Amino acid sequence: MAVLFKSLQLIKDDKISAPADYFFDNQSIRLVHGKDSPEADQIDCTGLYASKGWVDLKCFNGEPGLEHKEDLNSLNESLSHSGFVKAVLLPNTLPSVQTKNEVSFIRNKSQNYFSDIVIQASVTLNNQGEDLTEILDLHHHGVNVFGDGLLPISNSDRLMKILQYLQKFDGILFDHSYDPLLAIFGQMHEGNVSTRLGLKGIPSLAEEVAIQKNLEILKYAGGNLHFQTISTAGAVRMIREAKSQGLSVTADVSLYQLLFSENDLVTFDTNMKVDPPFRGEIDRVALIEGLIDGTIDAIVSNHRPQDMDAKHLEFDYASHGMLGLQPFLAGLAKLSVELPWPLLISKVTSGPLKVLREEAKADFWTTMTVFDPQEKWVYDRNTNKSLSQNSPWWENELQGKVKYVINGSKFLQCD
Amino acid sequence: MSQLSTRHLLGIKDITEQDINTVFETADNFKEVLNRPIKKVPSLRDITIANIFFENSTRTKLSFELAEKRLSADVVNFSSSTSSVKKGETLIDTVNNILSMKVDMVVMRHSSPGAAHFLSRNIKANIVNAGDGTHEHPTQALLDAFSIREKLGDVAGKKVAIIGDILHSRVALSNIFCLQKLGAEVMVCGPVTLLPKHIASLGVKVEYDVKKALQWCDVANVLRIQLERQQIKYFPSLREYSLYFGINRKMLEQLDKEIVIMHPGPINRGVELNSDVADSEHSIILHQVENGVAVRMAVLYLLAGVR
Repeated sequence: MAVLFKSLQLIKDDKISAPADYFFDNQSIRLVHGKDSPEADQIDCTGLYASKGWVDLKCFNGEPGLEHKEDLNSLNESLSHSGFVKAVLLPNTLPSVQTKNEVSFIRNKSQNYFSDIVIQASVTLNNQGEDLTEILDLHHHGVNVFGDGLLPISNSDRLMKILQYLQKFDGILFDHSYDPLLAIFGQMHEGNVSTRLGLKGIPSLAEEVAIQKNLEILKYAGGNLHFQTISTAGAVRMIREAKSQGLSVTADVSLYQLLFSENDLVTFDTNMKVDPPFRGEIDRVALIEGLIDGTIDAIVSNHRPQDMDAKHLEFDYASHGMLGLQPFLAGLAKLSVELPWPLLISKVTSGPLKVLREEAKADFWTTMTVFDPQEKWVYDRNTNKSLSQNSPWWENELQGKVKYVINGSKFLQCD
Repeated sequence: MSQLSTRHLLGIKDITEQDINTVFETADNFKEVLNRPIKKVPSLRDITIANIFFENSTRTKLSFELAEKRLSADVVNFSSSTSSVKKGETLIDTVNNILSMKVDMVVMRHSSPGAAHFLSRNIKANIVNAGDGTHEHPTQALLDAFSIREKLGDVAGKKVAIIGDILHSRVALSNIFCLQKLGAEVMVCGPVTLLPKHIASLGVKVEYDVKKALQWCDVANVLRIQLERQQIKYFPSLREYSLYFGINRKMLEQLDKEIVIMHPGPINRGVELNSDVADSEHSIILHQVENGVAVRMAVLYLLAGVR
């Protein structure tokens, strides 16, 4: 399908361009001048922004085993309608993604999806942090990203060996680093609010001790280490220092970590129970600074669907997580008050591609996400693409809507 | 009819100083009723109250039931020593089943912090939190402050030390909020591992030496070691705890003033309190129990007024 986007503003190279016309010829997108306008369906894009297609480094898939939360089909719908052309799936399915069988299953099922699926394979059996999976065999079947997803690799010896083993093919280890013993039974960030609510806290220390230790192991072992969804000021400081020392380290942060804080839990709203927990304002500001100076490479959706029965419970019985995909643009729009659009967009385009060690093609675009930063819509049963509803913004009016997405020869109109 | 600013009593931090004083004034009247030959008033006739206790309780449950019966309410009881969730039924299902029997008010004790908040968002009845995990136990704090007021004339300006296992105590949190709202100074004292790391951010003094805490305070509210809530080790042994944090008569005699001893019960005698203190003239522990009925009558009466 050939399309002519009229008066579209591109976000590219740290700036927003003046409105111009762009032609999608079913393969790539190029600038056209008024007189040269080719014959095609025309879309008036006045007031709309566009960037290269977005990439998410952390979203949850429930298939196989947890399909009642999110299956691959619903995840693909959520991803594409949220502007994402590529996503790294967490391996925390049942069974976990730990052999070529699970890899083949996901690959076969997703081969015709709109969004490209990047498989992260478990690096230890059942994500238990002990026995290694068959890493080389998984790589032979196309896996480059490894990690235990929602769980940390807290065994120092295992982490060292994994970092060493992955070097054979320059693989990347994704780790959600925290010390599980320091976080044991924790329900929210440890601070004034957890004290007032009588909830067991998860201290910043739990994350910072693990990151410090893992950076030391990385120095010793070599390899590529990507810290997922960091949440504390100390984590930002340590990763900044590690980068300045030349270590092969990258990091991402949840979008909603930048929008909420521990104060949002005062009513025991289980939709606010997330992992890592919402922390204090000092941490939030440090994460923002980390995005600005490049310490943090990517913003992720940390999409974590939970069925009603996992959330409609007493707070300490409720599961962690909130939906991150469909409200993603609305979250970016809220954040655009503090950070410029070009920076935000780089954290969902070039930033995550750098983490995946994929070169961004500079000369022409084969992917594009077109969005209206002003359009309002209601996030409810009628617009929801997920199988779950666990969002604090559920049934709220949100501002910021993805309009069109292009991935290679595939074109999606989101309305 | 007096009213509170809220239709539920979920925690002390959710109510105002005016609410607390209204409860006290109403409790004064009910205490007078409790000393009459006929100790019953018809205030809550035609009101049905369900006491739902998902945790073991002796005095709180008895106290609420007595308060409800003194007010002529119809009372139903549900007890389960284990959480309903563990039996495969959710809290909301359990309570909805009970409410379908047309209950007007629910008094609930539960092991989860925020369980009363959860309930209040999901059912129409008035909720009284009778203790939710390590969060709040508002009626205990109200009766504690009422007892201090009764003994010392006023709460404002008094120094109250809360001694013991602060980390696992809903009584401590509710007492801190209540006493501060009434103008008292509050100190917490115990082993560092049993004090929340950020407790000082609530505006309380922090002390690790029980003798210094006793010397500082006008009232010592001594808390029970909550062994049932300690999923991991916080101190080496009960023996060591009693040696270094337990209170005995000799310690009180060494003070240069008289202080009031309180305890929300049940007492681990010989651990946090020796019998020669618990049963002494310093102790108002049994007054607390007596006042508990009057204060709970007041809370139920006032909440029913805003239904």
